[in-house]
Amino acid sequence: MIRIVAAAVRSRIVPTILVIIALTTSMALLLAVDRIQQATKKGFNQSLSGVDLVLGPRGSGIELVLYTVFHLGKPTNNITTETLKDIERNPFIEWAIPIALGDSHRGFRVISTTSEYFDRIQFNGDQSLSFSHGRAFQELNEVVIGSIVASELGYRRGSSIFVTHGSESLGRTHDDFAFQVSGILNPTGTPTDRAIFVSLEGYELIHLGWKSGSKIVSLDDIDISQIPRERLYPETITAAYLGLSSKLNLFRASRSINEYPEEAVSGVIPGVALAELWSIVGSVDFVFRIFNWLIIGLSLIGMVTMTLSGLDSRTRELTILRAVGATPVNLASMVMIETILISVISTLMAIGLVRLSTGLAADLLNQWAGVRIDLTWISLAEFSVLMIVILAGLIASLLPATLVYRRSLAQGFSR
Amino acid sequence: MILETSALTYAYRSGKKLCFPDLQVSAGEKVLLVGASGSGKSSLLNLIAGVLPLQTGSISLKNFQYGQLGPRALDAIRANHIGVIFQSFNLIPYLSGFENARIGLKFSHRRRALVGRPREVIENLATHLGLTIDLLDQKPTELSIGQQQRIAAIRALIGQPELIIADEPTSALDPEATTLFMNQLNDSINPETQAVVVVSHNPSIIPLFDRVITLGDPQ
Repeated sequence: MIRIVAAAVRSRIVPTILVIIALTTSMALLLAVDRIQQATKKGFNQSLSGVDLVLGPRGSGIELVLYTVFHLGKPTNNITTETLKDIERNPFIEWAIPIALGDSHRGFRVISTTSEYFDRIQFNGDQSLSFSHGRAFQELNEVVIGSIVASELGYRRGSSIFVTHGSESLGRTHDDFAFQVSGILNPTGTPTDRAIFVSLEGYELIHLGWKSGSKIVSLDDIDISQIPRERLYPETITAAYLGLSSKLNLFRASRSINEYPEEAVSGVIPGVALAELWSIVGSVDFVFRIFNWLIIGLSLIGMVTMTLSGLDSRTRELTILRAVGATPVNLASMVMIETILISVISTLMAIGLVRLSTGLAADLLNQWAGVRIDLTWISLAEFSVLMIVILAGLIASLLPATLVYRRSLAQGFSR
Repeated sequence: MILETSALTYAYRSGKKLCFPDLQVSAGEKVLLVGASGSGKSSLLNLIAGVLPLQTGSISLKNFQYGQLGPRALDAIRANHIGVIFQSFNLIPYLSGFENARIGLKFSHRRRALVGRPREVIENLATHLGLTIDLLDQKPTELSIGQQQRIAAIRALIGQPELIIADEPTSALDPEATTLFMNQLNDSINPETQAVVVVSHNPSIIPLFDRVITLGDPQ
């Protein structure tokens, strides 16, 4: 029986393949989008831990978290270090790590901060940053680089780096001051891997003599050793990561920062900002998913249409099978086996395609946002989605099957 | 006795009603049913094949009383005991001649068991019917109508079903080919166990049959 069905399918190979393509791609789309979304979410949520609040200029909390933690987008405003000092005095705050952003090196972001950053910032829950080579920066001219920066640019300890002004590689280079790599971080699977860390003072130094993005005085004309280190502490920073003495005070601390009278700043809880982000993404995602299910539905309708339109031209072969003793149930199940075959093949191909596409997307995602995607064949939830599609295909095939059954029961040998 | 019908009538949905003459066909017999179109030849064959439900009267094939059997049992009787040849379009287009012939065994354990090795039996029947063996591996589209009808005959004959019924099997053949085909078909049956019932409106084949039964006009 299966052999006859297989031969029948082969005889209508072109429409069958088209239906399989439609089903495969629509299922793969659903699974891939779902997977990438989940991985992104997971990656984002795991990128930063240990930080209770992000202090930044008042504005969108989502934006603040995106450009500080994920290096996505550009900071719009700065805050003064004066404000940071005031806020640090707040009894809820245990520690504060200032960060200043804006420059880059060959497409990788430069983050200027204090060396405490490497002790305080965690990822994947409670994992601390660690060095595969060297140590944190100490001198003005030392930088720490993430693992991807090291592997992609082939940098080692002692390699020298010039920093570009602005985030585009087209910006003017701070070519009057070379930094040296003092340490390389172990891979984390977070945006940290793609970052370059310098001290606040070193960062301030290269911006001495700069105004509105262009160089006015070259460092070559200044005796750097004569500048006292305290003088290089910046007056403004982009943001600061804050740690609290007790998480119980999280919302109170956030509120008291938001009410800080001297400057318009806010204390954003990263988890809350991300949750907001997911709720925005989620509604788009929901609409997308509905469309996706519609496409799957249409593909199934296409499959049934193909079977139905084929029935008339198959009257002959069905009659011949009747003549050699096939029961109406035999004929109906032949039609059903055919559609089940198509749905199962499509499902298997969809799984393969998803594996392939997430494999490709994994690289892109990692480059774009430092997010790692798990490469698995199929999860239980995905399996149930595919079973729903197969079941729907089965139910859809009942229509042509019933038609065949009733026709062969009611008529004699129809010619 | 292989086939026996009595007082058989069939009423169409349109209200038209046909009465069929009683038939008694025993082993080795070749019976021709003739009649004008609309005389119900095909309906009679459908009733005998068990694909149209019995309305009044009785049919028995070997020891099976159709009136006491459900549609499933009738399908099984057709699979095991009847071979059918149609007027045209006898073959499944995407299967080879050999595969088309073997389909006759598909739904019958009994016929499969009787055949043993299908390839040998099919090649034997093909030779009997004047087909060269290499034609068995061709697709139906590559075969002439006469060759297609012979493949259909193998499908009907394979596995020794007791009754071979054929509906206008030669209508697409020229007179010479018609005589040859009918002779080959008639010679291929086992006179101890098998019988042939052919429906035709072609009087030229009358001499090839033992008995001719004329179906009456519609009443």
